Amino acid sequence: MNEEPRSGTDRPASGDAVAGGVDQPATESASEAGHSAPATPRPAKATEGTARTTGAARPAATGTARAAGAAVAAKKAPPPPDPRVEAAKAKAEQVRLALEAELGDGVVEETGAAHLTPMVRVRAADWARAVATLKTHPDWQLNYLEAMAGTDYLAQGYLEVVVYLQSIQLGHFICLKTRTDRNQPELPSLVPVHPGANWEEREIYDLLGVHFSGHPDLRRIMLWDEFTGHPLRKDYNAWDDTDDPAAPAGSAAAAAHPDGTGDNPVHR
Amino acid sequence: MSLIDEKDQVRTEEMLLNVGPQHPSTHGVFRLVVKISGETILDAEPVIGYLHRGTEKLAENLQYTQIIPYTDRLDYLAAMLNNYALCHTVEQALGLEIPERAEYLRVIVMEMNRIASHLLFIGTYLLDLGAMSPFLYVFAEREQIVQMFNEICGARLTYNYMRIGGVKWDAPPGWLDKVRAFVPHMRERLKMYDDLITGNEIFLNRVRGIGKYDTETALAHGMSGINLRCTGLAWDLRRKKPYSLYDRFDFSIPVGQNGDCFDRYYLHLLEMRESLKIIEQALEQIPDSGPVLGKVPKLIRVPAGEYYSGIEGARGELGFYIVSDGKDKPYRLKIRKPSFLNLQLLPQLLRGQNMANLIAILGAVDIVLGEVDA
Amino acid sequence: MELTRAAQLPVIEYEGLTPEENAELRRGGVLLHSLEQVKAWARSNSLWPLTFGLACCAIEMMGTGASHYDLDRFGIIFRASPRQADVMIVAGTVTKKMAPLLRRLYEQMAEPKWVVSMGVCATAGGPYVRSYSVLKGVDQVVPVDVYIPGCPPSPPALIYGLNLLQEKIRRQARSRQVTGA
Repeated sequence: MNEEPRSGTDRPASGDAVAGGVDQPATESASEAGHSAPATPRPAKATEGTARTTGAARPAATGTARAAGAAVAAKKAPPPPDPRVEAAKAKAEQVRLALEAELGDGVVEETGAAHLTPMVRVRAADWARAVATLKTHPDWQLNYLEAMAGTDYLAQGYLEVVVYLQSIQLGHFICLKTRTDRNQPELPSLVPVHPGANWEEREIYDLLGVHFSGHPDLRRIMLWDEFTGHPLRKDYNAWDDTDDPAAPAGSAAAAAHPDGTGDNPVHR
Repeated sequence: MSLIDEKDQVRTEEMLLNVGPQHPSTHGVFRLVVKISGETILDAEPVIGYLHRGTEKLAENLQYTQIIPYTDRLDYLAAMLNNYALCHTVEQALGLEIPERAEYLRVIVMEMNRIASHLLFIGTYLLDLGAMSPFLYVFAEREQIVQMFNEICGARLTYNYMRIGGVKWDAPPGWLDKVRAFVPHMRERLKMYDDLITGNEIFLNRVRGIGKYDTETALAHGMSGINLRCTGLAWDLRRKKPYSLYDRFDFSIPVGQNGDCFDRYYLHLLEMRESLKIIEQALEQIPDSGPVLGKVPKLIRVPAGEYYSGIEGARGELGFYIVSDGKDKPYRLKIRKPSFLNLQLLPQLLRGQNMANLIAILGAVDIVLGEVDA
Repeated sequence: MELTRAAQLPVIEYEGLTPEENAELRRGGVLLHSLEQVKAWARSNSLWPLTFGLACCAIEMMGTGASHYDLDRFGIIFRASPRQADVMIVAGTVTKKMAPLLRRLYEQMAEPKWVVSMGVCATAGGPYVRSYSVLKGVDQVVPVDVYIPGCPPSPPALIYGLNLLQEKIRRQARSRQVTGA
């Protein structure tokens, strides 16, 4: 990681604020040669170093300021990388080494930092195995699944699932993530490793449509069974489904919908 | 069909019993499909989602300040803590400095809200178990807290008091003195509750040794808060990952011994005492004047990246995970809902139990459906 | 049928009676008017609401019923079963998943029955009006008598709303439903 040129992080913060950062490639990713990672939707790690100074780096006069004198240039000088981010990245590297020692090369696709947390992105096929390895690994013992979330990256065409793992004994705090194809999202389930992932995975299945293979009870959890679509997907449109809002099909009240028939005469 | 079978036993059949979604003891719209044989629970299946309001999706189209009112309505018993959890995550992302007075005010209202929430737990739990009077008692104290919140932010339940970078309003004149007077009063009342409830033989028989689990199980199921601490593990984020000003206060983390319903009840009582301690210290340390809102840009843009931070909510670890693409609205916002995860163990706890223990076990989990379903 | 003046008068139809019973009352020239008012007076002073707490508003509803605001002084006592209740206070957000069950509970309540929509969520969707899973107002599934705005309404607001409902019940008894002859 250290030998990687850090040109990406040297970008002035004002540039990011204007561009919104959506199109920038993941410059800092320590990708394996074989896994050309698709562009990250945000320069997540690239702006980490500048995160604390955002308030000062507002793009007041974006175009002209760049050509100004030394004083402005000094103001625009890239801030030193946050040591906490650097520490997180170093820790992510250690996790990568531990994972590769157990599961072979290629299991880790990317390392970095999610804000101040070490971030390791693993291959989808090894998802459950990687989490299981880290749970029992003597150096890590990540035995507590703190949070689990799925995100839809529509433009990039994948769904990302993130878990924040924690070691109660050793105090580690790691962010693990993986990606799966948007059209056929499938991941190995984490329930055999962390039973607490049960409902979280059901929720992700319900709202994002990720199919977790090996899950003991994969059903919709928040919405009713007849619901069509996955609301947390970015292309979901609530007006697409034409179902009757008042009566999910098959329910007892479906017949008694208050369109006037069967209504109570008292309240007329 | 005779009621007595061949072996001279009373004939029982498996039966499906539907508890909820409209049931006074499910604390909202929670449904439990229980398979029973006689009085014994064979299996239980929780059905949730009757209050799923799509907060996470709505948040994607809202600016960060606009999301704060929606957090009020997640865990509506402890809205201040929810406010703080979101503001804290965004402030971490921005690297904001919070004015000291604002941070003290936050701690005071958060701990007061924790007390209000725990009070309601005790009242409703005892009501579930058949005791009416604690419910009427706790609402008297809760009403005092709620009235004070009403004075500081103009709302009784959904406060929307915190802002990114501080709080919206300074305390009105004399408000802190009211809190100062409230602390000893509350301490006295807590002693009264302890005397009234804890030693009650009927109550003890209903909760002691019921719904037991150990630390391993709790950790594996992602439990947090009192549901985890009742097993003996002193895991409180206020101590383990100090946020806000909690490293400045002297308080202890009460832990249980047996991991049963009684421990969960008693920890609520003990935690209120610790919260009173924190409020007392915060009232001593709070600066007399000063700004209550830091220097925050008018339009809050979180730098691109992903952020997670959790705080010790009233029910466990309440966290917000934010993915930002550098705009003024989150690309994705995910809420780590403590009671959602705490509820997962319920079927395992209920299996093999007596039917009468169902309410005792369910009530002790201390769920708020607005949070479970989000 | 002869066209006397009596036949031209508006016909009084009483609630809760079958057409045959109404016809019999007309034939016998019986007026139930004052009795109706007595009934309404009794009903309005013993409203038993169903504990139908859905979301945040439920906490304020509990607060109203508890010691400080004490709904009992209006004769309003919460019941857990729809069979024993005659007013449903819909306190909170009604989701599309909950709507059929709400309707079924409403149908399980015995006549006469009233519905109070408490809070903006139940009234029109409130802050969740743009959500994919929230019903935009409980009046899409059950007829509502009193709407109470607020998010959540404070206990005094709920008490005022219930007082309005009592007033409505009494006034309904004074007026009569008029249909064509």
